[in-house]
Amino acid sequence: MKVKVTSIPVQDQEKALKFYTEILGFVKKVDVPLSEHSRWLTVVSKDEQDGVEILLEPAPNHFEPAKVYQKALFDAGIPYTQFNSDNVQLDYERLVSLGVEFSVKPTEMGTVKIAVFNDTCGNNIQIVEML
Amino acid sequence: MTYYFKQVSKVMNDCYPNKGQLDTVIGTRHYINNHFHKELNLDFLSKVRFTSKFHLIRLFKKYYGQTPKQYIIDKRIEQAKSLLKKGVSITDACFEVGFDSPCSFSTLFKSRVGVSPNEFQKRAIFTKSV
Repeated sequence: MKVKVTSIPVQDQEKALKFYTEILGFVKKVDVPLSEHSRWLTVVSKDEQDGVEILLEPAPNHFEPAKVYQKALFDAGIPYTQFNSDNVQLDYERLVSLGVEFSVKPTEMGTVKIAVFNDTCGNNIQIVEML
Repeated sequence: MTYYFKQVSKVMNDCYPNKGQLDTVIGTRHYINNHFHKELNLDFLSKVRFTSKFHLIRLFKKYYGQTPKQYIIDKRIEQAKSLLKKGVSITDACFEVGFDSPCSFSTLFKSRVGVSPNEFQKRAIFTKSV
């Protein structure tokens, strides 16, 4: 078995696509309409376009428990997932300049530096730099 | 302060109280990152950080979850992947990242990446051209 796709629940796929591509800098990889209100929509890291795809899935809109779970994580400040960064401080400054809100500013935690931001689609996302 | 940040603070205090140990392993990792293409061994790495090699192995494993040797191999394989994607020959990539035998490099590469360097390069070039 191989890991090719992982998913992030989003409340609005179009808004998520804009955030993940225009703000975070990911690249759209697959966009297949599935029904009137949902698509198989994936993005990949610009630096690793053959890497793992992130499925921006509209689960919170179609399955109540997914919505409840997402909200509980968000309210507790817990990241839904994390991405690696070569320089958390630089990414933090770039994203703040684009209006992104952080609940955890760059913080050293042992052998890593972390920061957590709001992806505007219902999730906290953590960025991590190995020190 | 969010629940998550409180938990992060707790982990920081519980797991990372020893600044000296952190400086040792972080310094070792940085040294490997900057010199992975050269000959590196535990005796030398331990001298760089003024510690015994067995203590260094224990510390590195404790904080990074793998031994320095495993980390060096991962670092070299990652760099080799990057060179192969750029079209560098397998032999040149092998020596450039610090391995000294193309044969053992190919075996190691296949065991870590899942495909041989040759196959990896073919796929990378094919993906690029599509």
